[in-house]
Amino acid sequence: MSTRLPDAQVAVLETASATDALTIDELADATGRKPETVTGAVFDLRDAGLVAIEEQEESTASLTDEGETYREAALPEVRLYEAARDAGAADDPAPMGQVIGASGLEGPEVDIALSNYARKGYGDIGGGEITAAADADPESDAEAAALDAVAAGDAESVDGDTLDQLESRGLVAISERTVRSVTLTDDGVTLLMEGVEAAQTVDRLTPELLTSGEWRDVEFTEYNVEADADEASGGKVHILRQTADRVKDTLVGMGFEEMEGPHADADFWINDCLFMPQDHPARTHWDRFALDVPPIHDLPEDLVDRVEDAHRNGVGDDGDGYHSPWSEEFARAVALRGHTTSLSMRYLSGEAVGDLEPPQRYFSVEKVYRNDTLDPTHLLEFFQIEGWVMAEDLSVRDLMGTFEEFYRQFGITDVQFKPHYNPYTEPSFELFGRHPETGELIEIGNSGMFRPEVLEPLGIDCDVMAWGLALERLLMLMYGFEDIRDVHGTLCDLELLRETEVLY
Amino acid sequence: MPVVDVDPDELRRLTGHEDKSDDEFKDDLFALGLEYEGDTEEGLMQLEFGPDRLDRLSVEGVARSLRYQYGDDRGVYVPNTNDADWTIEVAESVPEERPYVTGAVIRGVDLDESGLDSLIQLQEKLHATMGRKRVKGAIGIHDLTMLKGASLGDDAGGQRITYRGVAPDGDRFVPLDSDEELTPGEVLEEHPTGRTYADIVADYGSYPAIYDELGLFSFPPVINGRRTEVSTDSRELFVELTGTDQWTIDRMCNIVCYALAARGATVEEVEVRYQEGATHPDEGADLLRPDFEVETKTVTHDRIERMLGLDLETDEVVDLFERSGLDADLVLGDETAYEVSIPPYRVDVLHPLDLVDDVGRAYGFNDLVPRYPDVGTVGGRHERSRLEDAVRTSLVGLGFEDLLNFYMTSERENYERMNVEVGSDVAGGDEPAVITGPYSEDYTMLRTWALPSLTMVLENNTHRAYPQDLAEIGLAAGYDPEENTNVAEHRTVAGVLARHDATYEDAKGRLQALCRDFGVDLETPPTEHPSFIPGRVAAVVIDGERVGVVGELHPEVLVEHDLELPVAAFEFRLDALQ
Repeated sequence: MSTRLPDAQVAVLETASATDALTIDELADATGRKPETVTGAVFDLRDAGLVAIEEQEESTASLTDEGETYREAALPEVRLYEAARDAGAADDPAPMGQVIGASGLEGPEVDIALSNYARKGYGDIGGGEITAAADADPESDAEAAALDAVAAGDAESVDGDTLDQLESRGLVAISERTVRSVTLTDDGVTLLMEGVEAAQTVDRLTPELLTSGEWRDVEFTEYNVEADADEASGGKVHILRQTADRVKDTLVGMGFEEMEGPHADADFWINDCLFMPQDHPARTHWDRFALDVPPIHDLPEDLVDRVEDAHRNGVGDDGDGYHSPWSEEFARAVALRGHTTSLSMRYLSGEAVGDLEPPQRYFSVEKVYRNDTLDPTHLLEFFQIEGWVMAEDLSVRDLMGTFEEFYRQFGITDVQFKPHYNPYTEPSFELFGRHPETGELIEIGNSGMFRPEVLEPLGIDCDVMAWGLALERLLMLMYGFEDIRDVHGTLCDLELLRETEVLY
Repeated sequence: MPVVDVDPDELRRLTGHEDKSDDEFKDDLFALGLEYEGDTEEGLMQLEFGPDRLDRLSVEGVARSLRYQYGDDRGVYVPNTNDADWTIEVAESVPEERPYVTGAVIRGVDLDESGLDSLIQLQEKLHATMGRKRVKGAIGIHDLTMLKGASLGDDAGGQRITYRGVAPDGDRFVPLDSDEELTPGEVLEEHPTGRTYADIVADYGSYPAIYDELGLFSFPPVINGRRTEVSTDSRELFVELTGTDQWTIDRMCNIVCYALAARGATVEEVEVRYQEGATHPDEGADLLRPDFEVETKTVTHDRIERMLGLDLETDEVVDLFERSGLDADLVLGDETAYEVSIPPYRVDVLHPLDLVDDVGRAYGFNDLVPRYPDVGTVGGRHERSRLEDAVRTSLVGLGFEDLLNFYMTSERENYERMNVEVGSDVAGGDEPAVITGPYSEDYTMLRTWALPSLTMVLENNTHRAYPQDLAEIGLAAGYDPEENTNVAEHRTVAGVLARHDATYEDAKGRLQALCRDFGVDLETPPTEHPSFIPGRVAAVVIDGERVGVVGELHPEVLVEHDLELPVAAFEFRLDALQ
């Protein structure tokens, strides 16, 4: 019975001979197939023991661009010799400058001519003068003749030394290639005599091939599996959301529960509860986004009274208030929140989920609105990470330990605490940390212990420590972005979003 | 945050630490809470710090803090003051909007250029911070020798100037940086400084003015007269402050006096004499200023230890107070406490807790050993945020690129470019919550829907590869008087499919998949919406409630956004999937 082999292998077997070796190129010509296809088939046949391959290294010489130039225009040293002869240097040494000028040589050609002139016996050079050997004959220059021979494809006629010299001058390129010659083995001959037939090849595996069982008798055409495929585009969670999710995971893991609340809120919750004086610069028209809507309908009246009292008179025996005006009308005005601390106030006051007993940990990663200057690191809207811990007897050391642990989760170490001032916390710290990549010390947040003027009106009689950080800052640290506008907002670049590496 | 420019050579001279390098100063200042931000063109160090220690708004104040930190000085220092020779009389005509005044006389001043620069800087920085851009308090500094006080009459040798009101077209004077005699009204219209501060006095009944025997020499809070201009030749100064709060201008005055005293000048008191029957709380009072009275607050030892998480000896605490420029007397009783004296340049001590912060800074907060609090709580996500994440995961699974856009937008983007009428009864047509006095025409309101944002992203990315399937879950809001805040906020889910063969069916198919994921019923009855092609738009009805819209965007909307291919889109309320 006959053997089924792929089409190309059958063609090679039928063309090859047991006695006369044929090269791959010859086989390709004879079978009408591409040399790559034939090579593949030959190797498969060799592995099956049906053909033998003999390999021979063959070198071919060809002119470089420079070699081609000199073949047409004569070698620089020859042109120099002819100019020297014209200048009478065969009799008396001629001034070099004059001869070079007359030769028409320019740039690097001058050095090439000079370095080959004496070597090839065209004359001597020295002391600014040049002589021309009377007996030299440019017509019989071996290198010039060799250039012609190589150009004519007759490199074999050139003697080895001359070819080496031309190669080292960069005028001739010599390339090596392996020539494979193929002969049928005895097994190959036997198989041919028993009969071979070409198997059917298919492009695609179809449902029909599978159900009919025909797939057993077909060969699948090979793909170039190394070639690039068309880009597949899928969706991806926005990288700022990914970063937010990672922060949320970290905080939930540290025992924090998530807060939720309005973006547009009364200034009372945004600022007054936080003991921000009403004439604080951050509360002026230029820093906040006030909304053109009527004031908030309901505020807890007792709390309003206590907050006003804290602003005017301070809390405790030795407490002082601000020397600033305070009006309930301003407190009731509605604005976009400048920080999510408004949520912390709603939660701590009991307004959001009822009275809270210590210990508690709460967080939010949500948008805030500030009328900052727009630049690559500041947008009018950004995400604030806000967190607080309520417990009996918290100290500054607990605050430091909590934040060190949080930042460690993002590879930020060596956290430093710069004493700072916030109207609502005391002590307050700006947090600095070591950048995981660049090693610089960078600002990574703001923190502190809520003041008694904040806590007492809210009815909290234990300690609360809090901190805030722009999520975008963390994102830029993690991804190395330089312009936040590329990712957040309608000017975002889809390409950038699609190509950003996924971090985990 | 305030930034103060400090000459490091002056700092070396004023601290007496000639051998300190700039870098050593930077580290020491960081520990105090002053962050080095860079150098000015003149080579001054720019230091940024929180707006609490406003006494550090000059090189003199920064040097004083460093001397305490280095242990060169200890405890409270109060400069001596000489008895008053000058009186500021507050006339009945003084504007009721700015009734308060204070001041001091400074003698034996020797200012070189950098000393004068530092004084001007201190004045400007105090204006910007405590002075609330001169509204709450403004400082005028004059060459005393150019003033001619009127005789008091009652007290031999005493001299008087008057704080009073003046009509806009009242007395003329030559303001600083001018050669012309102008009325106060003309200053506000014609002088650059006058124009800058005109708003402050715009609504005043009359303008504040200070007169000596020769006439008007200061128009607070706007500008001084040229006659009394201070130069490096000035040896005696008259400092006056006016404002809306006596305490605030008194403290500002103290800070200026301390800075000048640090340069070797002598402070002389000024008597401030208010009118009988004036309308302010200090009515009829005679005050001696500057007010260098040292206040005290009591803080317990326990409070300090608990806040810092440290065990401390009492003499150690007293030492830390003194190194902070405070004095502390131990009070033994039921509870160990300290009666702490606070120097009159401090404006930040409202509560005994603020003194604990000083102890911490003197101890060195970075020397505290962090500890993770031994407090157990259970963490968790809010239901709304879990739902949002789950829907986002489904959208991404359906092939959408998740986007994040601004929640603020403009009427033009939100309505006009989408063909939607404000206040119309279609998705996105809600009345807006508008920003009062917006600064940018691009951000004038909260968006009522998210499709305009996604369409803008398509518009800005027409050079990027298609298909562009984009989705966003985010805030949308509108004006709603029924809400407590008068703003109704909700999370919205929006998607667009921009591809050469996008159809209604592509959008609806994905909506169906989402609704199946979340186990809700979807119906899409035909509707009309001006952003969509008629006959290819439906209301999104989930579990019987109309919550959004789905369809093919109208060619008018596409062309308006420079889009050259069809876009299928949907938007609905996130809570419909709950």
